[in-house]
Amino acid sequence: MSADIKVAAAKLVEMAKKAGAIDADALAVNDIGENVSVRNRQIETVEREDSRGIGLRAFVKTADGLSFASASSSDLSDMGINALVDQVITMARISAADPDAMPPSGANHPTDEELRIWANRDQKESVWTLEAAREAALACEEAALEYSDRIENSEGAEAGFGNTHVAYACADGFAGEYSKSSLGLSLSVIAGSGDAMQRDYAYSRARELAKLKAPELIGREAAERAVRRMGSKSIGTRQTTVIFEPRMATSILGHLMGAINGRSVLQNRSFLAECSGEMIFPEFFQLTDDPDHPDGLGNRLFDGEGTRCAKRTIIDSGRLTGFLTDRYAAARLKSEPTGHARRGLTGDTGIGSSNLILNPGKLDSAAMLKEIGDGILVTEMMGMGVNGVTGDYSRGAAGFLIENGEIVQPVNEITIAGNLKEMFANISHLGSDLTWFGSTAVPSIAISNMTIAGQD
Amino acid sequence: MIPKPNKPTSSSLTGKSVHEQLPPMTESNLPIAQETLEQMLNAMVPAGADDADLYIEHGTSESLALEEGRVKHVSASTHQGIGARVIKGEISGHAYTDRLEAPALMECARAARTIAESNKNQSIAIHTAQPNHQLYLPTSPSLSVTMPERKALLERLDRLARSLDPRVKQVFANVSASFSTVHLVRMDGSLLSDARPLVRLNISVVVEQNGKRETGSAGGGGRFDLTRMLEGDEAERLTREAVRLALLNLDAIAAPAGPMPVVLGPGWPGVLLHEAIGHGLEGDFNRKGSSAFSGRIGERIAAKGVTVVDDGSITERRGSLNMDDEGTPTRCTTLIEDGILTAYMQDRQNARLMGVEPTGNGRRESYAHPVMPRMTNTFMLAGKDDPKEILASMKNGLYAVNFGGGQVDITSGKFVFTTSEAYLVENGEIKAPVKGATLIGNGPDVLTRVSMIGNDLELDPGVGTCGKGGQSVPVGVGQPTLKVDEMVVGGTES
Repeated sequence: MSADIKVAAAKLVEMAKKAGAIDADALAVNDIGENVSVRNRQIETVEREDSRGIGLRAFVKTADGLSFASASSSDLSDMGINALVDQVITMARISAADPDAMPPSGANHPTDEELRIWANRDQKESVWTLEAAREAALACEEAALEYSDRIENSEGAEAGFGNTHVAYACADGFAGEYSKSSLGLSLSVIAGSGDAMQRDYAYSRARELAKLKAPELIGREAAERAVRRMGSKSIGTRQTTVIFEPRMATSILGHLMGAINGRSVLQNRSFLAECSGEMIFPEFFQLTDDPDHPDGLGNRLFDGEGTRCAKRTIIDSGRLTGFLTDRYAAARLKSEPTGHARRGLTGDTGIGSSNLILNPGKLDSAAMLKEIGDGILVTEMMGMGVNGVTGDYSRGAAGFLIENGEIVQPVNEITIAGNLKEMFANISHLGSDLTWFGSTAVPSIAISNMTIAGQD
Repeated sequence: MIPKPNKPTSSSLTGKSVHEQLPPMTESNLPIAQETLEQMLNAMVPAGADDADLYIEHGTSESLALEEGRVKHVSASTHQGIGARVIKGEISGHAYTDRLEAPALMECARAARTIAESNKNQSIAIHTAQPNHQLYLPTSPSLSVTMPERKALLERLDRLARSLDPRVKQVFANVSASFSTVHLVRMDGSLLSDARPLVRLNISVVVEQNGKRETGSAGGGGRFDLTRMLEGDEAERLTREAVRLALLNLDAIAAPAGPMPVVLGPGWPGVLLHEAIGHGLEGDFNRKGSSAFSGRIGERIAAKGVTVVDDGSITERRGSLNMDDEGTPTRCTTLIEDGILTAYMQDRQNARLMGVEPTGNGRRESYAHPVMPRMTNTFMLAGKDDPKEILASMKNGLYAVNFGGGQVDITSGKFVFTTSEAYLVENGEIKAPVKGATLIGNGPDVLTRVSMIGNDLELDPGVGTCGKGGQSVPVGVGQPTLKVDEMVVGGTES
């Protein structure tokens, strides 16, 4: 199986060169996964997937310079590969030449030794069984149903596991492959009934079973979260401090990643386009991208263009060290590629982080509440009201009202608004509660001076 | 396949350009021999199953994207595969594969059967069923317009946008076309087919003035041939609209914060209905009792005069289908009639469990996803009020003409949607444009606060993509101009 996709990637590049491409790279992916969901102590669905895909990007020389195109297919036969190559070459000749085109050959690839080491640490066998996943899902839901008689309904627990195997090949002779296993368990339950229903959820994802949170803990967490939201109501409009619990704080880092994406910067689509080297956060803010972390689900030896990935400080004592780039953005921004090319089977390369880690602060949650005195703790957000060009921010939220350093009331049907650039500068505290969510590790983040809109 | 960290009952709608992942088959030729399908069905369906099907899909899509004045990026994808499903009561088994060789297919069929307790099999013969309505041409939408012609269109729109105003600094334009052919073999052996074209054009611009940047975008599409996007001046109109919105936003002041009356424009603002009541009326949540609307059929949930339908049978609309992904013909279902809740939207499994008829709302993103009850085109019927009088009747409030996307928490009923064009209104007169702001409300309440309904029903231009449970499907929305007596506006000016 794994041999199939490695061979397919190499064949795509070789055939593309024969068909007239001056440069090319290819990806081949095999996804295998199983998933089981239970609800009200009964199995609800069992799913199994086995899918493959191949993708080719090829560059051709035209009278005006280099142009390229990309395409994907799920047909790994020789006929399928030939058809894909013909399609990409034909489309590349239609595509407009780009004077800044950056073909893939010549990237700073990892060494053979590194490839060997990474290949050997991959987990090859399945990380879970369907039976064990079902038992975990049942145990998880049971823990929630037993937690309180106020848990009146369940939306079910879902347990899944799988393996993704990826092979990459480039016309300069580089070929690499890796496989990633992961498993996950999630649960959503409802507290109360009728008009008073409140739902919340909990989940865990990991690379190996030993690192997955215990099913009972996930169950209790979901139940506790749903129960504590009972009696939520809106509050009056005000300016105040907002604490984003770790689960919500991941979105703040997500908005930062969008704004320091080298391609967005090139396209004048970022509110941080002029901020490279500037203090955009308080001095205590230290953010690292680590492509090789024992707890991260985002580990990678090389990026979507075969560039070797390395650990990078993104925000150094509050200062933005630079933009994240692929080879194209780096060439245009006259910097070195940072190894952040993200790539699907088809489409242009994008840019994205590997594992993001924000250094935690010293305050535990009680100390943080005391420190801010009055404010809102946000535990859920809704909507997409974020303008990446201006940084203007306005989203729906739910959480808890904080008065005199204590949680006094669950709240919902409120909005929180500000401007991301100001919000970054107004971060007043970071919690000590560093929590991993897949490929992001964040503590609670407190931001002062945000506008809450609602109705008493 | 791994459980997603998404809120499982939170669903969203966006009009932003997402890459069309809609799997797109030419002709009605089956990629798998009919004998193999019969063998699969017979191996898969145990005695006593309530339902079972094989969903065979072949799709292609093509996209051209322009930036910095050049169509630098041409891409395509082809995919095909099969999804096998067996249902008994509330339990279902699913298996998906893109290997179309007989051994892999038989393994797939057996995997879907894992839920069955019975070892008894049935003997089923496949027969072609009669096609239902023909709402769109069963041909690939991209055959009649060559890629160089599409490229020339984008280049023309780029030049037009830049010529409209010197403050236009960046133009992004994308034209995509997909074509998906679906064959469905049901448990009784009937074979149904649908060939689905889908096209979309999107323009967005970045404008700059005195170091201040803003953005605006517009798009359109539907289930028709690409020639439609080249005829007339629709593409030009969308380009002018994107530039107008971006320039308008340059002058926008901070949005207000707090509760106030809101007048919503016609068309895409129907995203209100999609979020506030649409998702909450999907059969799965109501069967499970997890929706804020569960058990409320026959109750008043909206003001008198409010009638809302979900209609998947409108010619060439983005959310339309000849049949849903379970072979049920699409139709017009009245969800709310004169303010009273009349029906939920159903797939076959949830309809059977609730003892009602399926409504043609069983949809899946692709062969590799399970079927769920989903919306098609959801809209409010026109009322009698003159839109000008509606606006004039609002003393002070917000006039929200256009929106980005929205999201809902189905269980608590709270929903949001975000303005992309809105104005302050003072004494019934339109004043300054305001920056994008999120509006938040409670689904079961908001339609009871509708006090005026315009006579100007419009459907959206064909850009909506709805997300639920990690699956994206194309949908439509629509409404006339509406006045809601009070909503919370989430700006920064308190």
